[in-house]
Amino acid sequence: MKLSKTCLSLFVALTGSLAAGQVLAHDIVPGKAAATPVLLTGLTVHSVTSGVSTDTDVLIADGKIAAIGTDLAAPEGATVMALDGKHLYPGLIALANQLGLIEIEAVRSTDDSTEVTQTNPDIRAKVAYNADSEVIPTIRSNGFAYAMVYPSGSMLMGQSSLMQLDAWNYQDAVVADATGLHVRWPNASTLGSRWNPKPADEVRKANAEQLEALQQHFKDAKAYYDAEQAGLNHGVDSRWHQMLPVFKGERPLFVHADDERQIRQAMLLAKQYGLKLTIVGGRDSWRMADELAAAKVAVIYTAPYGLPTRVDENFRQAFITPKVLQDAGVQYALSLDGYWDTRNLVFAAGQAISYGLTPEQALRSVTINAAQIAGVADTIGSIEVGKAASLVVSDGDIFDYLGHKVTHLWIDGRAVDLNNRHKQLHDKYRQRIN
Amino acid sequence: MTSERLSLLSAALLATFAGSSHADQTTPIQGIIDKTPNLVALTGATVYTEPGKKQEKATVLIADGRISAVGTKVTVPAGYQQIDASRYTLYPGFIDPYTQYGIAAAEKAKRGSYRDAPVYTNERKGGNASNAAIHAEKDWVTEFEPDAKAAEQLRKLGFTAAQSARFDGIFRGQAFVSSLGDGLANELVLKASGPQFMAFDKGTSKQSYPSSLMGSIALIRQTLSDANWYNNAYGKTDVRYFNEPVEFNAALASISNIAQAGVVFETNDDRSLLRANQLFNEFKLNNVAMVGSGYEYVRLADIKASGRSLILPLNFPAAPEVEQVADQLDVSLADLRHWERAPANAAALAQAGVPFALTTYRLKELKQFWPNLRKAVKQGLTTDKALAALTTEPARLAGVADRLGKIAPGYQADIVLADGDLFADGNIVATWIRGQQHNVETVNPVEFAGDYQLTVAGKAITVNLTGAGDKLSGTATAVDAEAVKLTDVKAQQQQLQFNLALKTLTGSAQVAQFSGRLTDNVLTGKWQIATRAESVSAKRQTAGQSKSQQAKKPQSTAGTMLSKMTFPNRAYGLPELAKQQNVHIKNATVWTAEQDGILEQTDVIVRNGKFDKIGKNLSTPSGFAVIDATGMHLTPGIIDEHSHVAIEAGVNEGTAAVTSEVRIGDVINPEDINLYRGLAGGTTTAQLLHGSANPIGGQAQVIQFRWGETAEGLKMKSAPPSIKFALGENVKQSNWGDAFTSRYPQTRIGVETTIRDAFQAAKEYKTKLAAYNKLSKRQREDVAPPRIDYRLQALVEILDKQRFIHTHSYVASEILMLIELADEMGFNITTFTHILEGYKTSKEMLAHGASASTFADWWAYKMEVQDAIPTNACLMAEQGMLVSINSDDAGLQRRLNQEAAKSVMYCGMSQHDALKMVTINPAKQLKIDSVTGSIKVGKQADFVLWNTNPLSVYSQAQQTWIGGTKYFDIDTDKQLQQQLEAERAALIQKVLMADDDAKAGDKDGYKQDEPEWHCEDQGDWWQISNHLHLHGHSH
Repeated sequence: MKLSKTCLSLFVALTGSLAAGQVLAHDIVPGKAAATPVLLTGLTVHSVTSGVSTDTDVLIADGKIAAIGTDLAAPEGATVMALDGKHLYPGLIALANQLGLIEIEAVRSTDDSTEVTQTNPDIRAKVAYNADSEVIPTIRSNGFAYAMVYPSGSMLMGQSSLMQLDAWNYQDAVVADATGLHVRWPNASTLGSRWNPKPADEVRKANAEQLEALQQHFKDAKAYYDAEQAGLNHGVDSRWHQMLPVFKGERPLFVHADDERQIRQAMLLAKQYGLKLTIVGGRDSWRMADELAAAKVAVIYTAPYGLPTRVDENFRQAFITPKVLQDAGVQYALSLDGYWDTRNLVFAAGQAISYGLTPEQALRSVTINAAQIAGVADTIGSIEVGKAASLVVSDGDIFDYLGHKVTHLWIDGRAVDLNNRHKQLHDKYRQRIN
Repeated sequence: MTSERLSLLSAALLATFAGSSHADQTTPIQGIIDKTPNLVALTGATVYTEPGKKQEKATVLIADGRISAVGTKVTVPAGYQQIDASRYTLYPGFIDPYTQYGIAAAEKAKRGSYRDAPVYTNERKGGNASNAAIHAEKDWVTEFEPDAKAAEQLRKLGFTAAQSARFDGIFRGQAFVSSLGDGLANELVLKASGPQFMAFDKGTSKQSYPSSLMGSIALIRQTLSDANWYNNAYGKTDVRYFNEPVEFNAALASISNIAQAGVVFETNDDRSLLRANQLFNEFKLNNVAMVGSGYEYVRLADIKASGRSLILPLNFPAAPEVEQVADQLDVSLADLRHWERAPANAAALAQAGVPFALTTYRLKELKQFWPNLRKAVKQGLTTDKALAALTTEPARLAGVADRLGKIAPGYQADIVLADGDLFADGNIVATWIRGQQHNVETVNPVEFAGDYQLTVAGKAITVNLTGAGDKLSGTATAVDAEAVKLTDVKAQQQQLQFNLALKTLTGSAQVAQFSGRLTDNVLTGKWQIATRAESVSAKRQTAGQSKSQQAKKPQSTAGTMLSKMTFPNRAYGLPELAKQQNVHIKNATVWTAEQDGILEQTDVIVRNGKFDKIGKNLSTPSGFAVIDATGMHLTPGIIDEHSHVAIEAGVNEGTAAVTSEVRIGDVINPEDINLYRGLAGGTTTAQLLHGSANPIGGQAQVIQFRWGETAEGLKMKSAPPSIKFALGENVKQSNWGDAFTSRYPQTRIGVETTIRDAFQAAKEYKTKLAAYNKLSKRQREDVAPPRIDYRLQALVEILDKQRFIHTHSYVASEILMLIELADEMGFNITTFTHILEGYKTSKEMLAHGASASTFADWWAYKMEVQDAIPTNACLMAEQGMLVSINSDDAGLQRRLNQEAAKSVMYCGMSQHDALKMVTINPAKQLKIDSVTGSIKVGKQADFVLWNTNPLSVYSQAQQTWIGGTKYFDIDTDKQLQQQLEAERAALIQKVLMADDDAKAGDKDGYKQDEPEWHCEDQGDWWQISNHLHLHGHSH
């Protein structure tokens, strides 16, 4: 769900090609592969998987992390960068957002995030990913190297992809194709919308109808799968064909759900069909953390900054939920389900430290945990020899406003230009101050 | 309504009355003149002559529609028809002061959508008001058509008179009082012209304005003012300020005497009642009765202090749906509490001495009236107060206390005759209205109940009859057989019929049919068994008793309430209003937001709500509490220049391009949980702004987050008036949908002219007023005065530097335009808010003398924020501007410290300067910096204690204080959390154990939490709230 942002109109503009001229490719060129190894020295390395080590060197070669250690010798021809006392983290990963799919939320012509109809398992978010989006460089400059973008809609919404954020086009941005099928779960609360209030009984009835419709879609898709196994299908149903990997267990199910009742319904469905389930949203996950852990259901928690879901909940409930998930042993990652505000995810993780996570746990929630949920933990998400050299350097604690200052970012060993539209406008108009 | 069938007898009586009612005085008589006398004596009754006054074995004489005598020593004169009322209790006839009786109800409001095309005008006819929600000129008596069916339904509850008008619109027209008897309107009208019925809800009006509660209030304010003006202006010959004669206006003419005629105002809850009270106080209108909501108990002291009389509906909320564990997620503590307490509301009001009448209004089914009133009695409402609320109080409110409400000589003969005590389990048998008898049941019915020894088919049986009237039933038993139920039992006067299947008694397959009569306690009749007839006779052996003779008394069985009462009455409310404390804060890191900067290891002493001393190692004055703040940081309370929390029923009155007459201050919602959440984030003060739907929006209100206080208590009285302006996409309706393309302006070029023209009008208006004020008293007698225009008045205040502009703005061009226009028209812009391209125009804004309040890092969500940058605040500050960071969002409002920190991060602002952007800088923008915004001796003690550096992502507010009063404490919060969970659980248990009767009620009988308002939220509030109420059900 997109964030409803203040002073953005409630109403989606129905026309409006006016922005087309504004959405220009900018002059920030994707980083080139380094011809020679690069040795980073003197860093405090936050490895994620093997703790924090100070005064440590990291060698980048062929786009990978070639070595980690103290006083590493620079290979011949290597570029040595002295980064004494700075902090090195894996490139951060932002799951479940619409980066590159929306440029200006209120301008319909710049929004390719949300399709109509309830049955779009064949939709692939990546094909609308605008690698030249002005938004993306502003996310990178806060330390993010990857984003998993998903198509929105209702019910079966389509497939997400994990993108690296420094690319010429969507094809070279894709890190992991079809990381999962995204499903928006129907409402399960008895409360109608505040803008269109209805009595509880009517809401229950509508909920039941929606749930039944969703279940029917899965039945139909499963029927297609069964017939496919038996060689009995008459042709390719474009929709259900893309559900085959789901039933084969090759493509996980990402269910967007916040309410405890929705999550329970989704768990039942996942169990019925033997599907790997990840919850996206998960506001109520704290109410059922033990069950989620036992059922090995992962959570992409999107409300680290959230207001309480209900009026009786404590003001801090949304803030402490990561800690509850952590303690229960739930596999989880943090996310802000939007696009431009993704750059604040790192601080949301910082706030989760304030509300109970250790710094290491918070770091995992935007690196290795996210990589695991996206199915790419073997290549990214931690600082380990052999993994992609996707690394970010901050002058201080990357999670805190008082320390965060990103000075370098590499993706697959390519040095990323940290310039962005904001810095350019800043530099331009700073000339006018007198 | 129950479909209790009347007995054949009483139905016949009713028919007779309908035919013989005497003709009125002006209709030419056709046929034979009816001169049937109507002289009645009700004898031997228990008579409540008025609340608290009871006579036993009294006689009431009725002559020609009036009561001529009451008393225990009254003898029945010759010629009177005597009715033995010795088994009955008589009450004065009840009066419902708030009905639509005899008036066709308005067609239900069409379900609309916020996407529907706007309607900017009203159909004009007959000199009506320009707004379709004003029906002030309606004189509802002229539309009165007696409604026999509705009257009968009300009579069954004991009502004999009603005050009525149509429930539609804001000014609904003048009510009238009528009897609920049969006859022509000419005969039934008791008072032709009564109070104006009013409400905030615009009802079926299709006109877009007002789309919000504050719009409704503004419309009421303008209309009341207009009425005064009209009174003074209409007909005057010197019309120099109009250049034409003053228009005729039927609506204004009809409310010119509203102070005398009075108002009955419909409220929705305690907040709306207090709000209406405030509004009528402005106009010194004392004669206003408030139709209540059942929520009065939560603000009892304030409601009592209002001095208003209430008209209380008796609809109670249905129990929250907790039967399924999962559904409990959707139930709030506030609702659970209200379910438990609502039936005790009337008792609480009575105990507090608040006068009230009762009404059937809001009952989904009229038959709920007595069960609900008895619930209220069980919860402690005394029967005297209950009776007063049905008789003398409504008589007083309807202005008929000299004729109705008592059983006393000279009063209209409106009487309720009941079997038993109505407030216990009695039932209404008949009413007299203007001396006419209307039976609900048979008066003095023949009682068949008892045992009769009969034989049938040679078998001795005992027939046992119980009940009476329609509820008469019976069994037959023999010594050697089980009881057999009698079927088809029917009684009519003294005659009785029933059928008896003989199988069980005699083995015969036949049915015996009894028909007979009861005279002198002897039942005589015959059995018809197929072709055979058997005569029988038996004496009744035990007789039944009437309810009056059983003398069941109403009892208060109010159990212990499990729910707490808090301020506000919801989760995290305080058990009592927070109190000021004198306190010594020791050894804190103090961020002064003054030139002193950040002071390490410093003490602060707070005395009488103010900072008293700041220094090192201060000694603790005697009696002062001590807070050891070692390791903690002390900052001024966070101030938000731009907020929409705690606003009720619409943040925009976006139905016109200029709405400077609407006031956020009219619609403060002190119960908004976001106030508490804001406190938990260190926020103490916010400017609540109108939305950004129009170039000149509504008046703003600065509040302090004094959680627990009323709306008035939240207002910061020392803050000068301010107003919201807006520019750009929202005001030109760029993103409102295809239906919204007709309101001027649709472009930034039109925004300029709109604002210019409004100020031009304001200037001319000011000139006229000044000219009029210069006239001598003598001259004014002939001159039609200029009309007070609240819309222009606010702009005049701006021109007079009495009201300050905060303008929503984004792009460079519109910023420069407004500055140019301000210079041209002679007004100042105090603060550009949002101002995401402020960094492009900071020189010009600074030169104008304006300040800037911006978002830390928002951008990209719409076209006009494409050039927003997170270093905007730094660049504007570098130019020398006064800069603050605002939230515009309930979520962001609780981490404004973090938002300020982003300027440290993105562009190296000093930490102290960053903190000033959410403390002293916004205080200066709101012109409250002499009172608050920094830690300075003499200033109001608004402060926050943080666990660490407040700009760190790791900081959390530990305590938040306003004026030396602690409103948030992180430890108290944890206790509140535990307590509310226990209370919730106990109340859920109570619902689960409750019987159906205790659970029954209105599912929509609860306050609705407001949506999180944002400045673009634009729906028609009245349509939204109507959806809800049109869909309410009861079970």
